Amino acid sequence: MAALPELRSTRSGPPAVNPLHESGGPDDALVRAAQRGDRAAFGLLYARYSRMVHGLLLARVPFSDVADLVQDVFLQALPRLSTLREVSRFPGWLASIARNRAADFHRRVKPNEEFDEASASAQTEQIASSTRHSSHSRAEAHAVLDAIRSLPDAYREPLILRLVEGMTGPEIAARTGLTHGSVRVNLHRGMSQLREILGRKTSPPAGGAL
Amino acid sequence: MMNDDYLWDASGTPDPEIQRLESLLADFRQADRALVLPVEMPAAPRGILGLLLRMPSLPRLAAAAAILLALGGTLFFSLRPKHAQDTGPAWDVTNLQGAPQIGTTTIAANQAPGKLHVGQTLVTNGDSRASLSQADLGEIRIDPNSRVRLVQTDPNRKRIQLEVGTIHAAIWAPPGTFVVDTPSAVAIDLGCAYTLQVAPDGSGTLRTTLGWVGFHLNGRDSFIPAGAMCSTRPELGPGIPYFEDSTLAFREAIAQFDSSSQDSPARSAALNTILSEARAQDALSLWHLLSRTIGPERAQVYIRFAALVPPPKGVTRGGILNLDQSMLDLWWNSLGLGEISTWRFWEQSASPQPSPNTQQLKLKKQSFLQDAR
Repeated sequence: MAALPELRSTRSGPPAVNPLHESGGPDDALVRAAQRGDRAAFGLLYARYSRMVHGLLLARVPFSDVADLVQDVFLQALPRLSTLREVSRFPGWLASIARNRAADFHRRVKPNEEFDEASASAQTEQIASSTRHSSHSRAEAHAVLDAIRSLPDAYREPLILRLVEGMTGPEIAARTGLTHGSVRVNLHRGMSQLREILGRKTSPPAGGAL
Repeated sequence: MMNDDYLWDASGTPDPEIQRLESLLADFRQADRALVLPVEMPAAPRGILGLLLRMPSLPRLAAAAAILLALGGTLFFSLRPKHAQDTGPAWDVTNLQGAPQIGTTTIAANQAPGKLHVGQTLVTNGDSRASLSQADLGEIRIDPNSRVRLVQTDPNRKRIQLEVGTIHAAIWAPPGTFVVDTPSAVAIDLGCAYTLQVAPDGSGTLRTTLGWVGFHLNGRDSFIPAGAMCSTRPELGPGIPYFEDSTLAFREAIAQFDSSSQDSPARSAALNTILSEARAQDALSLWHLLSRTIGPERAQVYIRFAALVPPPKGVTRGGILNLDQSMLDLWWNSLGLGEISTWRFWEQSASPQPSPNTQQLKLKKQSFLQDAR
């Protein structure tokens, strides 16, 4: 679990509301508290949802830009939180802000240029600094990420949340506001398409024997 | 055979391929990073979304006033036989005002939401408003004097039919999921919030406030980004979209062009006005005009479009004049109004063949037109 965010809080201790004493989903009380200006509550929401936001952004923008955009998304959400009428909609609401932030990123940078992770990462050397994998594995990782990104939104999002961010299907449903059924179907279909793409990339070229 | 349990919740027998992908992709996982908040938590801003959703009709909003919420959906109607079902996935219906009805059942205020099942129709009279919502989807506000039928509710496709009236949609489902049929066009959510009106004669108007919407009928497509609107007419389908802050002369010329026949002097005059009044931002309209014009007209549009927004690398004059789709898509993407691949995916996944319900759609249009006389 991510560490609690840095807060220059004017109060100490946990949020004033006890989630067990309020009706609705497990995070509804946190959202209500954050709407009332509780910094610790918003910090907890960040801790719980930043991985989801990271995954949704990773599905759309270069890895080197994702971390900063995660911060942007939450800082955009903060002043708008009070306009969220139904607090149970927070997961889907936050997901939509993340998707729009990604779209905005592309409009502001180079909207008519597609990116691929291999070239983007080569410029930053962010992945290259990892000691976990060889250069061959890093290249393959880039290719797999690009393959996932080539899938429709409904498939690439849950696949990245599952395969990259390590979230389970139930967690993905809870954090994105989707139903278990939708997430499970999309994971299954997305994985099928991904297998097909990866299978085409590794298959030997067709050719007739003499 | 793929181990679905392991993919779903990492239970059961581990799938070696999935495990390998997890290990391979681990370096892309989020690293711990603190969120630095402002010293003072912001005061509650004006409730823009609440104001929007409470209004009976959507006022004109500049793109800069786009609301935080979700992606709009395109509304896409598919007609199906009207068999009301009391079982199966249902959407929640909340009474906002008056006495909205599902069949003969009135949805009362201050009570638990009603349920709208596939095949059922939600009706609001002149004094009623309602809210339609579904867990995976978002929220749709129904204005007075409206009829909305639930057509489909699957994990990846949510469809309603707006027979008449006005809806305001704020959608957070993934792009391409939410679709609305109207008598004169199909609207597909590509990530936005928008208002859609359908008149008794079947004509309609769509105004996008966030993201963008695709409007489609019989091979004619219109894409409406935030700050823009588009009219649609029975039999003709969606017209040329335009930004609301374009000049009055421009907007009037668009309307004239859409309603004029191919070789009429009025159409030629309208096109001349469109081209002379167009700003760089109006490239939205010029892009659509390319496929709505032929021969010398199209060449005129290309010249003006290219002067305002130079075509990106890979786009040639010859290709555009021949309506090369890949080049049109490149030029569209360069406008920064929305990634067209989302639309192309929807196009490929939608049925290419007219469904039996298309005949029902035509009959319904005729009914609307007869009622309007």
